Amino acid sequence: MDIFKLRKDKFADFLASLGGYKLFAPQKVGESIRFAPVTDAGKVELALANTTVPPKSIFFPQTETLYRYALGNTEMHPPAEGEAGVVLGVRPCDARAQVIVDNLFSWDVDDPYYLERRKKIAVVGLACNKPCVNCFCLSVGGDPASTEGLDLLMTELDDAYLLQPLTEKGEKLSQAVAAVAEAAETGDLDEAEKLHRQAREKINRKVETDGIPQKLPGLWDDALWQNTAASCLGCGICTFLCPTCHCFDIQDEVEGIDGRRCRMWDSCMFKEYTLHASGHNPRPTRRERTRNRINHKYNYFVQKFDVIACVGCGRCISFCPVNIDIVEILRQVKEAR
Amino acid sequence: MVDVEKLKKIARETISRDDVRCLIGWRQGSYGFRAAPHFVGKPEEADQLIFSPLCSHNLATYLTLAEKLPVPRGQEPDTRKVALLVKGCDSRAVVQQLVEQGIRRENVLVIGCPCRGVVDQKKVEAKYPDMGAAVTADWGEKTVIFNLPSGRVEAPREEVLAGKCMTCRYPNPLLADIEAGDAVAVWGSDEYTDVREMEAGDPRQRWLFWEEKFSSCIRCYSCRNVCPMCYCEDCILDRLNPGWVWRSANTSENTAFQLARAFHLAGRCIECGECERVCPVDIPLMKLNRKLTKEVREKFAFEPGTDPESKPLQASYRPDDKADFIL
Repeated sequence: MDIFKLRKDKFADFLASLGGYKLFAPQKVGESIRFAPVTDAGKVELALANTTVPPKSIFFPQTETLYRYALGNTEMHPPAEGEAGVVLGVRPCDARAQVIVDNLFSWDVDDPYYLERRKKIAVVGLACNKPCVNCFCLSVGGDPASTEGLDLLMTELDDAYLLQPLTEKGEKLSQAVAAVAEAAETGDLDEAEKLHRQAREKINRKVETDGIPQKLPGLWDDALWQNTAASCLGCGICTFLCPTCHCFDIQDEVEGIDGRRCRMWDSCMFKEYTLHASGHNPRPTRRERTRNRINHKYNYFVQKFDVIACVGCGRCISFCPVNIDIVEILRQVKEAR
Repeated sequence: MVDVEKLKKIARETISRDDVRCLIGWRQGSYGFRAAPHFVGKPEEADQLIFSPLCSHNLATYLTLAEKLPVPRGQEPDTRKVALLVKGCDSRAVVQQLVEQGIRRENVLVIGCPCRGVVDQKKVEAKYPDMGAAVTADWGEKTVIFNLPSGRVEAPREEVLAGKCMTCRYPNPLLADIEAGDAVAVWGSDEYTDVREMEAGDPRQRWLFWEEKFSSCIRCYSCRNVCPMCYCEDCILDRLNPGWVWRSANTSENTAFQLARAFHLAGRCIECGECERVCPVDIPLMKLNRKLTKEVREKFAFEPGTDPESKPLQASYRPDDKADFIL
C-alpha cells in the first residue's frame, strides 16, 4: 500500500477530503481533551497528551438509547443506523484496547450496537512520539507505534504527518487524501522509524506481567487488597477512563409516556454494581471491588480471551484522586509470596 | 510549622495507645508531585508519614467513608478511635461532621497540622512537566521548595499553590486534640471576588458557561465520594424509584446532578475544594459551592465547620433570620 506524506499546512484540506465520513477527533470539551465530532478543523488537538476520556466513547458511548417506546404500547423503535465514520488521532494503546474489547462484545452474543460502529468507523492512529509519565504499554504487549486495531497510522514528523495505510479501510482513506498529500520518500520512513524507537526509550514505567494471571488467585485473601482499598474513594474515575473497561447498566427512563431503554457505563468500583435485590452484596467493601478490578483485567479476562485487559495507557494512575497506582499493585502482586 | 519528625513521634505514640484503631495521614506518592493517604496501623508504619505542600487530601472523608460491615455473632464491634491528621480546612470538615452528628466525638482523635498551603497539581505539572520520579516538597518563607531529580528549585507560592489556599482564612486547625506544631500566620483573605465576578456577568453567558461544563461531566461521582460532607448512606443520586436524577449522562441530567449536590451542600460546604481537585474533566465546582457559601454568610452570618457548639444551618431558626428572598 502506498505511504503518503501530508504537510501540516494541508491538514485542514486533509480533513475536508474526509468530508464523506462522520469525523471524530480530540478536541477541547469544557476543560478537558476528548474525542468529539469535528465541526471546525482548527479545533482538532493532536499535539497534546492523550485524551482524558478514551475513544471507546465513540464505539461504546457513555449513554446510548437501545430503543424508544411509548407506555401502553409494545412497539419498539430502535435508533437509526449509524453513518460511516472516521475517528482520527487515536493513540496505539487505545486502538489496541478496542480490539481487546471486541472479544467481549462478540463473545456469547454479538452486540449489534457496538459491532455496527466497529464495522462502520475507521480508526486512524497517531503514533505516540511523547509518551506520558505513567505510560507502561511496553509491559502489557503494546507499543507507542503499535498498529493493532488501526486502519491507518499517522506519525508526526517535523512539518508533516506520515500516513501508513494498514487495512482496506485505511487504503480507501489514503486514496481520498491522495490529492492533498504527496508520496513519502525513504528518508521520511526512516525518520518515522527513528521517532518510534525514541518513543520506546522514553517509557520509564515497567512491570513484569509474566505469571501475574497465575499468581492472582492465590492472593485472594492477601493484605494487599485491604491496604490498597483503604484509601479508595469508590468513584468511577479508573473504570470510566479505562479504554478496556466495558461494563454497562441498562435503565428504562420514562418522561410522560415516552420511554427509552438505554444503557450507560457502569463501574465495578460502585457499591451498587453488585448489590442484590435482597440487600446482600457479594462485594460488600472497596477491598473486594479493588481486588475485582485487578483480577478482571489480569486474571479473568486472560483466562477467557487470552489477553490482558489493560493496555498501559496510565489514565487510572494519572487521574486517581488518591494515587492508587496499578503498576504499584502489580509490583506487589509479583513480590507477594 | 509542623516538624515532621515530631509528627512521626506523635503518630507512633498515638497508634500505640489501646484506644486507637488506626491513624490516617499522608505519605509520598508513587510519582511526580503526588502524595497519598497513609493508613497507619502499627508504630513502624508512622515512619512513612509526611507533611508537606503535597498533602492536598482532606482525610476527614475517611471518617464517614469507612464501610460498616455487620459484626459476626459473638464478636464485639471495634469502638476504638480513628486518629486523623488535619490541616485547617480539613478540621472544618471534622467540626461540621460533629455538628451534624455524622460522627461521634469520642470516636475520633484529631491531630492538628497548621498548614501553609498545598499545591495545585495542574499548576505544578505545567511548571515542571514529565516528572516521573517522586518529588518531595517543603515550604519556604513565601515559596514552595521542590526537590526535583535535577536539583532543588524554589517557586513563588502564588505560582504553585491551590486557589483555595490563596484565600485561606483558616490555615490553623479549629479543632485539635493534639497540636503537631505552632500556629502559622494567616496570609490570605477572602472577598469572594470570583463569585462576585460571576454574579456580575450576563445570565445568558453564565448559563452557556455552566452548560458547557456540565455537559462534559462523566458522572464518575468522584466529587461526591471525595466530599467529607457527602456521607448519606442512601444518596438521592443512587435512587432509582423514584429516579430523581436519571443515569443517562447528558446536559440535563448532569445539571440536575450537580445542582442537587450544590444545594445539598448549602450551609455545609467547608470549602476544602476536594471536589474540584479530583474532577477528571476539570469542572470548576467550587464556583458553585462558593456562591452558596457566600449567600449563607451574607444572609445568615453563618460559616459551617467553624464552631463545634453551633447547630446545623437548616436546623437553626432565628426570629431575625432574613426572609426578604422568600416570595
